[in-house]
Amino acid sequence: MTRIMDHPILGKLNDRKAIPFTFDGKTYEALENETVAAALLANGIRTLRIHEESGTPRGVYCNIGHCMECRVTVNDQANVRACLTVVEQHMVIESGKQHPTIVKRMVEQQ
Amino acid sequence: MNSNEAIVVCRCEEVTYGQLRTTAEEHQCTAREIKLRTRAGMGFCGGRTCRIPLDRIIEDVLPNVSQGDIPLKYQPPIRPVSFGTVGEKND
Amino acid sequence: MMDVIVIGAGPAGLAGAIASANSGLKVIVIDEFIKPGGRLIGQLHQERSGEWWNGIEESERLHQEAITLSVDIRCGVSVYNLEKDGDLWNVHTSIGTITVPFVLIATGAAEYPIPLPGWTLPGVMSIGAAQVMTNVHRVQVGKKGIIVGANILAFAILNELQLAGIHVDRIVLPEKGPLSGKAGEPEEVMKSLLHAAHLAPSPLLRIGSRFMKNDWFRKTGMKFFPKNGVKVNGTPLLLRKAAIEVIGMKQVEGVRVADTDANGTIIPGTETVYEADFVCIAGGLYPLAELAAVAGCPFQFIHELGGHVPHHSETMETPLEGLFVAGNITGIESGKIAIAQGTTAGYSIAKHAGKCGAVIDEQLNQAIQNVRLIRMQAAIQFNPDIESGRRKMSELWEKLYEKPANLHSTQKLG
Repeated sequence: MTRIMDHPILGKLNDRKAIPFTFDGKTYEALENETVAAALLANGIRTLRIHEESGTPRGVYCNIGHCMECRVTVNDQANVRACLTVVEQHMVIESGKQHPTIVKRMVEQQ
Repeated sequence: MNSNEAIVVCRCEEVTYGQLRTTAEEHQCTAREIKLRTRAGMGFCGGRTCRIPLDRIIEDVLPNVSQGDIPLKYQPPIRPVSFGTVGEKND
Repeated sequence: MMDVIVIGAGPAGLAGAIASANSGLKVIVIDEFIKPGGRLIGQLHQERSGEWWNGIEESERLHQEAITLSVDIRCGVSVYNLEKDGDLWNVHTSIGTITVPFVLIATGAAEYPIPLPGWTLPGVMSIGAAQVMTNVHRVQVGKKGIIVGANILAFAILNELQLAGIHVDRIVLPEKGPLSGKAGEPEEVMKSLLHAAHLAPSPLLRIGSRFMKNDWFRKTGMKFFPKNGVKVNGTPLLLRKAAIEVIGMKQVEGVRVADTDANGTIIPGTETVYEADFVCIAGGLYPLAELAAVAGCPFQFIHELGGHVPHHSETMETPLEGLFVAGNITGIESGKIAIAQGTTAGYSIAKHAGKCGAVIDEQLNQAIQNVRLIRMQAAIQFNPDIESGRRKMSELWEKLYEKPANLHSTQKLG
């Protein structure tokens, strides 16, 4: 998606430093002091995880930390809210993946 | 109405409108009971997104229950915290 | 040790911190977001005077003032529990437990969700999410969007999206049903827009409102509501179309919409698909009161205030000693009201702390009067019956908590 560089009321985006980070192994650029969610959307990425069980894709819903839909893994820490986390230089971000549901399958088979 | 049965109301646990409605009708549940029976509102966000739709379903199914009658119940922790953070006091 | 912890660095929280710090108290402010300002930093609208209300500038002003008064502001910190321990409060946060005699909860509001088929697809977001992404993060949420739900907040944010060069193609209603409530009933929506129309914060709403003010139109309006809608700042508002489903494989590709009758009932065989790459769900706001609830504060459901609100007085006290509230947690109103309520709470805390002697009574009185004045002059009124909602709460407070003796010792406000 496009960044809003020039806004009629809010003015121009002042020169912010670009910093590299990776998402699922690919390198992207964020602007300093922006959230993981904003940086990913600016790079055209909407899907931040898939549902642990069903695998349905999920992205930012509330953008202010309530809904937990945007949780990703940041530098090996799981379940971090992308909408409240500021990107740092060389941050390693992984999308949320589908989990095996062995116990549930076992229960269903009984 | 068929497609509406499949609406995911609780996004965390993927509990559908159909499941919730059937459960509410069958058991004439309170807001708390419907959560325990379906796991709606018991997922990662702790019902932060679906609490109000759940209340609305209860309100619609049960006679003489309006939203104002459903108690506002929250359990701590109301935000995700690591076990380390919660355990801190007992260290 | 700190005297006051303020939870929420929005307009109410910052104003509360400023008033308390001004009275000589040591104040810490905690907020979960990456920067202070709360929902204020998303707000951008034109006042009736033609001037722009720039939420970012307003919050920066409050932030600077708080810093000047040595208020300790911590962003990116979550509060997950709150409990009374003797005369003190233990506030459990992601950076540890903070113990203080006074707590101000200023957590603001959350949005009513409207579940519909396909709403878990990436690209579907609450309208507030789009506002934050656009005005705070300055990233476009998409190229072409559809808003589901028509209310004053949706119109305000529509305008903000347009200012940022984002095309909002249409505004439609959610399908009528228990999950959407009144938001899916065309006549109810029309009624609430009518109430808001005369207070319209910008020319776009006033132009749109002209036809709605007509009594005849209101009654027969829904029946003859133009099929192609009426334009709100160039975007068709379609009160007779309902969103049935958000479609897309991996993310939003469009919205399936059907015509409805005047009651909002779907007319079979009228389905069409509008293409879009993002969808905003606009269900309106309700007070975010979870912390007051875990603290054990009693609640009342008051529809006019937006939902369950903690019992509180005009001086922003709750029945729990040392616990105060301000801003949208007490009822959905504008940022300006939140600031005025925050100031009231801040002075109220100072009074309880025994600060500033006789001056504080005067300051507190003035702050309360100011809330009333701003409410009267409000440009954006989220709920037309806000006054009646406020009255209900103050009557409840009087009945439950004001001891007869107090009527003589404290000055009753008019």
